[in-house]
Formats: sequence, C-alpha cells, structure tokens
Amino acid sequence: MVADTNRLCGQLVLVSVLTAATVVAQPPDLGTRPEARGTTDVANYEIDVTLDPATRSLTGKEVITWRNPGEIPAYSIRLHLYWNAFRNTNSTWLRQRQLAGDNALGRAAENDFGYSEITALTWLRDDGSEVDLPNFRYISPDDQNRDDRSLAAADLPEPVPPGQTIRIRVAWTGRFPRNFDRTGAIGNFFFASQWFPKLGVFQDGGWTARQFFANTEFFSDFGRYDVRVTAPTNWVVGATGVEQSKTVNGALTTHRYVQDRVHDFAWTASPDFVDLTQRFEHPGLPAVNMRLLLQPEHQHLADRHFSAAAATLRYYGEWFGPYPYASLTIVDPAFQSHSEGMEYPTIFTGGTRWWSPRGSNDPEYVVIHEVGHQWWQGMVANNEVEHAWLDEGINEYADSRVQGVAFQPNYLVQRFFGGFIPWQYRDIPLQRATDTNYMNTFRRAPDRDPIATPTYLLWPGTHQNLSYHKAALLLHTLERLHSWEVMQRVLRTFFARWQYRHPTPDDFFAVLNEVTNQDHTWFLEQAYSNSVTYDYAVERLDSALISWRGLKEGSKGLAFESQTLDKIYRTSVVVRRLGAGQFPVDVLVTFTDGHQERQRWDGRARWQNFTFDRPARAVSAQVDPERVLLLDTSHTNNSRTLEPKRDEAATKWSLRWMVWLQDLFMTYAFLV
Amino acid sequence: MSGPTGQQADGPAGHQAIGPSAAFVDGLMRVKRAPMLAIGLWLATVLTALPFAMLLQASIGDHLGESLAAQWAAEGVNFDWWNEFLAQTSGVGLSFVPAIIGFAAVMRNLSTFMDNQSLPLVIGVAVSAHMFVSLFLIGGVMDRLARDRAIGAAAFFSACGMYAVRFARLAIIATAVYGVLLVAYHQWLFDALYPSMIENLTVERTAFSYRAGFYVLFLIPVSLANLIFDYAKVRAVVEDRRSMIGAVVSAIRFIRRNPAATIGLYLLDTLLFLAVIGIYFLAAPGAGVNTTLAFALGQLYIVFRVIVRLQFAASQIALFQGRLAHAGYVARPVPKWPDSPAAEAIGPQ
Repeated sequence: MVADTNRLCGQLVLVSVLTAATVVAQPPDLGTRPEARGTTDVANYEIDVTLDPATRSLTGKEVITWRNPGEIPAYSIRLHLYWNAFRNTNSTWLRQRQLAGDNALGRAAENDFGYSEITALTWLRDDGSEVDLPNFRYISPDDQNRDDRSLAAADLPEPVPPGQTIRIRVAWTGRFPRNFDRTGAIGNFFFASQWFPKLGVFQDGGWTARQFFANTEFFSDFGRYDVRVTAPTNWVVGATGVEQSKTVNGALTTHRYVQDRVHDFAWTASPDFVDLTQRFEHPGLPAVNMRLLLQPEHQHLADRHFSAAAATLRYYGEWFGPYPYASLTIVDPAFQSHSEGMEYPTIFTGGTRWWSPRGSNDPEYVVIHEVGHQWWQGMVANNEVEHAWLDEGINEYADSRVQGVAFQPNYLVQRFFGGFIPWQYRDIPLQRATDTNYMNTFRRAPDRDPIATPTYLLWPGTHQNLSYHKAALLLHTLERLHSWEVMQRVLRTFFARWQYRHPTPDDFFAVLNEVTNQDHTWFLEQAYSNSVTYDYAVERLDSALISWRGLKEGSKGLAFESQTLDKIYRTSVVVRRLGAGQFPVDVLVTFTDGHQERQRWDGRARWQNFTFDRPARAVSAQVDPERVLLLDTSHTNNSRTLEPKRDEAATKWSLRWMVWLQDLFMTYAFLV
Repeated sequence: MSGPTGQQADGPAGHQAIGPSAAFVDGLMRVKRAPMLAIGLWLATVLTALPFAMLLQASIGDHLGESLAAQWAAEGVNFDWWNEFLAQTSGVGLSFVPAIIGFAAVMRNLSTFMDNQSLPLVIGVAVSAHMFVSLFLIGGVMDRLARDRAIGAAAFFSACGMYAVRFARLAIIATAVYGVLLVAYHQWLFDALYPSMIENLTVERTAFSYRAGFYVLFLIPVSLANLIFDYAKVRAVVEDRRSMIGAVVSAIRFIRRNPAATIGLYLLDTLLFLAVIGIYFLAAPGAGVNTTLAFALGQLYIVFRVIVRLQFAASQIALFQGRLAHAGYVARPVPKWPDSPAAEAIGPQ
C-alpha cells in the first residue's frame, strides 16, 4: 500500500514539477521589470549522511560546489556548525538564553548535549588532486566568546576569483541534541535542521557569517541539494525536496532527496509517523504534492493540517506569486520535541495538541505561518540573523490575513489542568488586527529596542515582540493607510523582484515607496528606526447650546448681555498626542441627529481643539476612528462619549468576576 | 453482621446503624430543613466578595472612563479593551481575565487548586478572609445540622463562638497537614516525579494520562485528610469535645471502623458536587447574557455549591449519629419517641 502510494506520488511529482516550471517561467505582470534574478546555484551540496538512532549520532560527508558570487576574490571560507550551539553551556547561544533567564541545558544530562565535529576539510581541485584547507579554526567575531564553536573558518590555498567555482569536501560527525529548540531528537523522533557544515554568504566584500545566537535564524545562498539520508529500514523519512530513490540495504535504507533553488535542507526520521499525502490544485497555480508526517495521536487533525497548508498555497500564491516547488512536507513534531513551528525549504514543522477544538487556530496558525515562510525567507531570502523582522513580520502580517479570510471564526482558547484541557471561549472570536497580530504582546513592551536593531543584538526577550508582532502591526498600519490592494501589490512586487535573492530592509522600503508612490521615511524613522510610542486621546468633549455673557457694543455704547441660542450647539473636542510618535489621524464627531463630522489632523502638535456649531448635540468623538494606527496600543482613550456606559460595563463585569471569586471561595472552603 | 436491609449494624445492640445512602438522604433532608444555613453561607460569600468586586468595578470604571469602549464592553466582550486593561492594571484587576466567563471560572478554579497555582495577593487575601469567616460559622452550622431543629440566631452564633476557638485549634493541625499535602507533596508529585516520568515521552495523551493519575494520587490523601478533619469537627460538635487532638484521633477511629460507610458517603457527596458543576456546565451564562440574569444564574450556582458543602457536613453528621448513637450527645436531634402503649388500646384510626 505504501509502495503504491509512493509510486503514484512520484508520477504526480513529475507532473507537478513540469507544471510548476511552466508557471514560474511566466514573468509576473508588475508594470516594472525586476532586476536580474538572484543566482540559484551559488552553493550546491551533495551530502551523504547516516543516522544511528541508538547513539543519536550522524556521520556525514558532503561536497560543496561553491561559486564566488562576489566582486572580489575569496581567500578563506566560513562554515556554520550550528549544532555546536548545544555543545556546552558556554556557547554563545546558550549564554544568550541564560541572559534572558532561561538556563537551557543547565541541568541537562551528558547525552542531551549535541555537537558537530569536522573530521576532514579538503579542496578538490579540477585536476583531481586534493589538498587540505589550512588554518581551520573556530572564530567568534561577534562576541569574542572563545568557547563558542558555532562558526569556523579555514583559509583557501589560493584565492578564488569572482565567478570561479571550487569544490570542497567536508567530513564530519555530529550528535543530535535533545530537542529543545528547532532541532534534535527525543525518543524515536529525529528532526535534523542546521545539521551539516554550511557555508556563509559571500557578499558585499566579504563573508556574512555570524555565530549562532539564541534569537537568530539563518542566512545562506541558494543552490541544489542532493542528499542521501541513510536511516533504519521501515522508518519514515521526510526531507526538503522530492524523494528520488529509496535503496534498501538490509537494516538500513538510503533515501535520496533532491531539490534545486533552495538555501537549506532539513529532514526528519521516525518509525512512528503516519504518512499521508494530498495534492493541492487550484486554478492558475501549480499543483503541489502535500505530504503530512503526522503523529499517530493527531490523526484526527490531518484534514486541518492539509486545509491550512492548501489555503496558504492558494492565497499566498494568488497574492504574491506561485509556490514553485513540487512538494511540501508538513512534519508534525512529537510531544515535547520543542521543534514545532520552524520553516525550512519545502519542509517545515507544525505543532498541535491532541485536543484542539475546531474553531480555534491550532494547528491552523502554525501551519499557515510556516507555509508562508516558503515565500518569506524561503524564496525571498533576507538575512534573518540581522533582519529577522523582514520575513517574520511580513509573514505574520500576511498569515493573519489568511486566517482572517479562510479560518473564521477563530475563538480564544485557554488551557487548564497542566495545559492539557482546552477551554474555548465562544464569546471571544479573535480579530485579525488586534489578536492574530498579537497586539497584546506588543503593547506590554512597545518601547524596547527599535526593529531596526540587528536581530542578533536584540535583547533576547524582545525579539518576538518586535520581529513578529510590531512588524506585523506596522505593516497592517500601512495597509490601513493605503488599502490591502496596495499592500498586496507592494508584497507581490517585492517577492517578484527579490525571489531567490537576499534583500535588505532598505530594498523593501524602496519597493514600498515605489509602489505607493509615497515617501514613508517620516513613519519609518519613528516606527522602524526608533521605538517611539503612539498614543492619541480625546481629552475633552463638550457640547452645549451656544451662550455668552458680557459686554456688547450697542446703540448706547457697551451694554451687558446674557444670551443663549436655543437651537445651535457648540461642540468642542480636544484631542491630545500623549506619545512621542506622530501620525496623521482623523477626528470623527457623531451628533444626536446621526450626522457625523470628520476632520483630518496632522497629529504633530501635542493637542488640537476642534469646534463645531451645529443644530444637534454631540454624542461622541473619536480620534483615529478606523484605527488606522494599530501601533497606538492604548485605544480606550481614543474616544469619548457624552452618554457613557462606564457604570453599566463596570457593573456587568465586576458582577461576573464576583461569581468567579465566590466559586473560588467555595473551592477552597471545603478545606475548612 | 448485617441487618435486614443489608446495612452494617455497628451500633449498640438493637440499634440499626444507617448506611451511606441513608445518611446521604438524611443529610439532604437536614439541609432542606435548615434553609437559613444555605442562605447564611451564601451571604457570607457575597459579603466577602463584594468589597473586592467593588474595587474591581472602580478599577474597570476608571479605565473605561467615558470612552465608547465602555459601550462595547457593556454589550458583549470587548476583548481588545480587556487586554489593554490587563496590560495597564494592577492589584485586583490582574485577576480579571477571560476565565471568569461562565463555566471557565469553574475550570480555572479547579485547575488552580489541582495544579497548586499561586493566587494573586489580593485574591489570596480574599480567599483567606472567606476561610476565616467560614471557620467562624462552621461550628454553628454543624451544631444546627446535628440538632436538626431550629435553634435561633442567638444559639447559632453562640455555637459559632464556642466552636470557633476549638476549630481554630483544629485549623492549626489541618493547616499543617494540608500544607504538607498541598505544598510539599504536590511539589514532589508534580514538580519532581511527574516531570521525570514524562521526560522522554513523545505522546501527549500518555503524558496526560500520567498527569490524571497524579491528580488521583494527589486527591486521595487530600480527601482522606479532609474526611478525617470533617469527622473531627463532627465529633467535636456532637460530643462536645474540647480536645481537637482527641477529636482527630476519634475521627480516625471512626473512619477506621466504618471505612466503607464513610468513604462511600464521601463519594456520594462528591457525586453531588460533580452533578452541580455538571449542570452549571450546561447552564453557565455566556458573556452576552443580560447582566441581571447572568448574575442570578451565577448566584443560584453558588447557592448550590453552598448546599453541597452543607450536605457534606449534614450527611457526615447523620452517618455518625446513625452509627454511634448515644443518648448523651450534646448536639442531637430531638428524640422521636414511639407511640405510647395507650395508643394501642385506642386501636387503629
């Protein structure tokens, strides 16, 4: 049954590859022609690796074919050895976690630590001769931590001029760390990411390669990966790309996976996976073979995984550009593997719970987010070590739109009893702008580091807050400023122009300004380069019949007069800018007759008074009534009404709360 | 030796000891005959909670001010405002979370107890205050239930005062025992043993079954201690015991001699508790329900929780009095004398 499925899959994959290639070949209609496409064959890897589950170890050999894409000769190479982040508690990665108060592996057993150890590093010359690369050493250019082994360098025997290709053979051994962040092994579940010695990126006059920090993800060049994974026979193996062959050799089976135009390769192996497939088909988009490697206890959630992945393939494909690869593998990680929610080219980890109520966004959210990363970082490959917000923020912003379009209602869920039992709040449907953009997380620390701070230098506790949430809110604010159609065009253009390349934030801002035909420097200097807070408020609202008292010129000179007009109300609205951030906002006043007055305020002064004389009394005033400025996290003070329901609301909720407190009393009263 | 109805005859010769189901029914009848107790204990929860609710009301009112957010919060759930409030509040406001809505409140509170989660300081103060009030009232409550007849407010509060001192001494013992169980034992179970057992598990359902098992391991000694202290109070009231150590020892003795009856009755009472929260699960008002109706339903549920609490006490008293009947009990029902022999002479009516 499995063999038949695989054969069918192979045929479908072939068809898909052809279809995908056809679609990708069509240039997107963008009005402007993108610059030359990024090169997709800078760093090509041929890897042979054998997994020994008993010792949780890998033995690998790889040949890297690297072409110097720069404009100057290369005199050395940089190799990432990411698993050395888990070598000991003195690694830069673990030290940074300690800085944030998390002493990961602080009390770990010996076998929980992982490592990568290079055993041979050889230059394979074109004439067939081989020479060891001299002066191999571990380097720590970012924090001078001599104990860190996550980045290595070696000299090249002779310079490699621009455009020239060299081949390097690396042999290494490694041990899976116990899973606690993205990679590792627990029980029979192995997830191998950042598992092989990997080149840095040669650009801008040198190597861009940093040590492995707890905040940071990855950055590497595109290429072709041809990988043979040898694992126990009968284990299910999933990996980046399409499986080309499966060679059984007694107790071991070698799976060969190949994928072009990707910048990373991850794989997983376990005897426990339930291996499911579905084919994504949608008019105008290339078909994709979706493969789901599911934990047995999550079989009832299979459809939800597939539908979330398909929705993202559809909407991201329509909005930004088609998914060009033939396959997409969803890995459902084992309980406690801590490898959930991480993206790699054509493969990613989801993550769900065995009891996940329908109408909540688990597992949908994580699946949508990680499929979305196939676009943002998978194909538009910004440097996540320095500008993680560029993919995380764009992806968070866009994935919450997919949730809003395709997965509604999405109710709040909280878990009780050790986090196992979910409770779904049918009264609280989550909203895209505020909830799935995680405004609540952002509002608790809106003025920490600027997003512009290189990601590896961010305070460990603020990375998620800024790179994901603030960036998503910033982009959503731009959407509300311009419209979704405009933002979609911005992202579509950015995608087309920077697919298979390495854009920087400035490249994104250039596309933003170009497509909108507006300069956003005023906004980005505040919200991106700085960490100013935004807070606009309606400070006063008065509305009364116009009256005056005092002296007035008359026929007999100045005379005292007191007068009240019986039909004209003067409404005065004082709006105030409480935060340092400035943003143009509307002021909307609603009157008892239903009429509304709207005025624009540039939002620069500290306060502004708006006055309206009308034959009706005002009911309410709002500043930024459409909530364009989502970065204003104190929204309650954005409105004021002359018919307040404060007491009604406060009474309602305090009485609800009181019942909870009485129940708590009774819960503990049985002890008396 | 079994009596004609299959109940264990454990009392004096000729006395028919009652079983757990009879004690359960008797307890219910006693609670029914003492409605003022339920009302009084419910009022105690209201009066203790009310000042804190007023604090929260002021806090919510201040935050909402004259904003339009108040209107949306009054009509339904304004979750964005709620989150903003939580981010900016302190003290009692920090406990105002979505889990106060409907049945989530019950889930949260049971989970808080089972997982030994710490309470916010102000809520800890509120719970402690209610426990002190309960400690004061429980003596009068048990005296009333033991006598099974109206005793009047003066006698009730006199009994409260008399037993409060004794029960305060009992509370010292109980606090020590519960402290060991709720803190040390719980930490050992859930912070040491449980994590080590699930350390290498890769199946969540298995981990949950372990946790469920640990909940049982946690609840068994807690319930046993609860049972002992319940019967210690019963014996202290019914037999007018001064020594609380003696009451605890005699409670243990009684439970040891009547394990099936006492534990069976405890389980029956627990079933009643589960039935009450099960019904509330079905009837708990959502956020959109009218405030008055929602509050009324909530209070009705609290009244039933109070009744369950009373039922535990009343049925345990009934069981004790039914098993160790003694004419010299200080607190006992009015004797129900049989008909006079003269009635026989009158003949059937």
